[in-house]
Amino acid sequence: MWSDPSAGRSASLAAPPSSSAQAASGPTPGTSDPGPSSSSSSGPPKKPLVKLQRFGACFAKEAVDLNELRELLWSGVPDEADPSVRAKAWQLMLGYLPVHVERQVTGLSKKRREYRELVKDYFERSPEMRSDNENQILRQIRVDIPRTNPGFKFFGDAVMHGIMERTLFIWALRNPASGYVQGINDLITPFLVVFLASYLNKRDEDLHELEISEVPSEVLEHIEADAYWCLSKMLADIQDHYTFGQPGIQRMVLRLKEIVKRIDEALYDHLTNNGLEFLQFSFRWMNCFLMREFPMRCVIRLWDTYIAEQASGFSNFHVYVCAVFLVYWAPQLKMMDFQQMMLFMQKFPTEQWRPQQIETLLAEAYVLKSLFHSSPKHLS
Amino acid sequence: MAGQDEYDHLYKIILVGDATVGKTHLLSRYIKGTLPKAPTATIGVEFATRTVPLAVGGTVKAQIWDTAGQERYRAITSAHYRRAVGALLVYDVTKAQTFQNCTKWLEDLRNNAEPDIVVMVVGNKVDLVEKDPSLRQVPFEQAQAWAQSKSLMFYESSAVTSFNVKHIFEDLLQEIYTQRTKVKSDRYNDNSTQGGMQLRHNPPQRQAGCCT
Ligand SMILES: Nc1nc2c(ncn2[C@@H]2O[C@H](COP(=O)(O)OP(=O)(O)OP(=O)(O)O)[C@@H](O)[C@H]2O)c(=O)[nH]1
Ligand SMILES: [Mg+2]
Repeated sequence: MWSDPSAGRSASLAAPPSSSAQAASGPTPGTSDPGPSSSSSSGPPKKPLVKLQRFGACFAKEAVDLNELRELLWSGVPDEADPSVRAKAWQLMLGYLPVHVERQVTGLSKKRREYRELVKDYFERSPEMRSDNENQILRQIRVDIPRTNPGFKFFGDAVMHGIMERTLFIWALRNPASGYVQGINDLITPFLVVFLASYLNKRDEDLHELEISEVPSEVLEHIEADAYWCLSKMLADIQDHYTFGQPGIQRMVLRLKEIVKRIDEALYDHLTNNGLEFLQFSFRWMNCFLMREFPMRCVIRLWDTYIAEQASGFSNFHVYVCAVFLVYWAPQLKMMDFQQMMLFMQKFPTEQWRPQQIETLLAEAYVLKSLFHSSPKHLS
Repeated sequence: MAGQDEYDHLYKIILVGDATVGKTHLLSRYIKGTLPKAPTATIGVEFATRTVPLAVGGTVKAQIWDTAGQERYRAITSAHYRRAVGALLVYDVTKAQTFQNCTKWLEDLRNNAEPDIVVMVVGNKVDLVEKDPSLRQVPFEQAQAWAQSKSLMFYESSAVTSFNVKHIFEDLLQEIYTQRTKVKSDRYNDNSTQGGMQLRHNPPQRQAGCCT
């Protein structure tokens, strides 16, 4: 997974990715849609409408072709799409929603029943039966939940707190190697937002002021179960990010360091000469998958691609995204000293970013990864 | 930029202690004078600086690193202790466990920071026990005795009322300064730097309420 780029390629990487200038000047139609397959990167720029039709056709088949869906989702669900498209694509891609259309309804209700059983077994037991460890996990979850994504009003609502408390607690007990780790409360939020948007038929950007009391309780029950299962799938292969010593994250930080050294040595030297350590700024990028660095609309776009990459290890790809993100700021960073850089990196000026800028990052990260990996056909 | 960024001493200080004892709130209160607008659990480290004038003239610049409190992060957090000369070891006066864990935090500090690191123990959230004394789980005397037995400084504080917030940071800075100057002057036998070099030093208040 962490294979080194072959030595012969270093020459082509000596210069920073040429497209970083392009990224600075905003989204460029046509380059924002590389797709993991060779056919989509060479064709003419796709119109959102065409893409929407392709999603529709993909869902309309008797059995959804996950390879086709992966390719579509990788390059993002268009803004124009019905909010249910993204929810469905994510759930299919994560293996939660059955690919066979006639099994979808029963499949979902089975999973939701199963989740209700989990709630009974793990959560609704009498509190006296809980071990010290379980109580400690619950305490930690309870103090973190009110400190979750303040950008959406409903994350401050007691009903939503209940949903998060149950899902995170059950996830922690069923994954004892890691248990609950701060930041996992962030990772469930894109699922909650996207599934809410789907059920309410609203755009995620219109949910900021949503009152939970407007949402029927049956819908909330479904969202809770769906978010639980999807979070479980998303985190299934990255357990060692959250186990003792967080080896998975330490590996990613090291890898990021290597990649940046290769693609922008001047920046790398500037950082290290100023005494900046990669762990200092990139730990959070890894722990929360850049969620803390972008507004939710951008995180959701990022997750289209990450969910498409999930089966092949999205954390591997994530490191390239981080590298491109860091190098994107190289012109500013190179003008700063240690302290200025630390303060700048704590709060990158990304509040106004649109999903198109994420697409540019993703496109560059894709190119970069292909250069580093001997085989660009990384999707089996 | 350069003009306002002059200082005579640069000290790295770290904020450590269990999750949710209020480290980030204390830092925000000290640096910005307000509580965090959008509070979230700290992941990794957060960084802030403040330049503090010395009563004797000159300035100390504090480079303050706010760390994540959860147990799982400790292996990684301790990597940020390197070269720290001061630490605020924070617990929550309403949670006995957070005080008991101070022993572990101190051990981490001893193992990973500078050997002569100056440590200040801080019992935060005293505003809560002001309102309801039955909430107190860590008696003032007990924490003070423990700190004394380990030769650590000690205060109680509240990020919410600002009680002692300035003191915990600036008395720590002052102590670091005093110790460093003393060591230096001992080493070089330089009498000119001895004595009289003190930050403005108001006696700490034990009772909250007078300052908000
Ligand atoms: N009453 C009271 N509450 C406080 C005080 N300081 C912090 N809090 C509350 O305690 C909670 C945690 O505060 P933080 O500053 O985020 O705690 P932290 O130590 O930085 O926690 P981690 O980042 O998870 O390690 C928040 O809900 C604050 O509102 C205080 O002085 N008094
Ligand atoms: Mg904090």
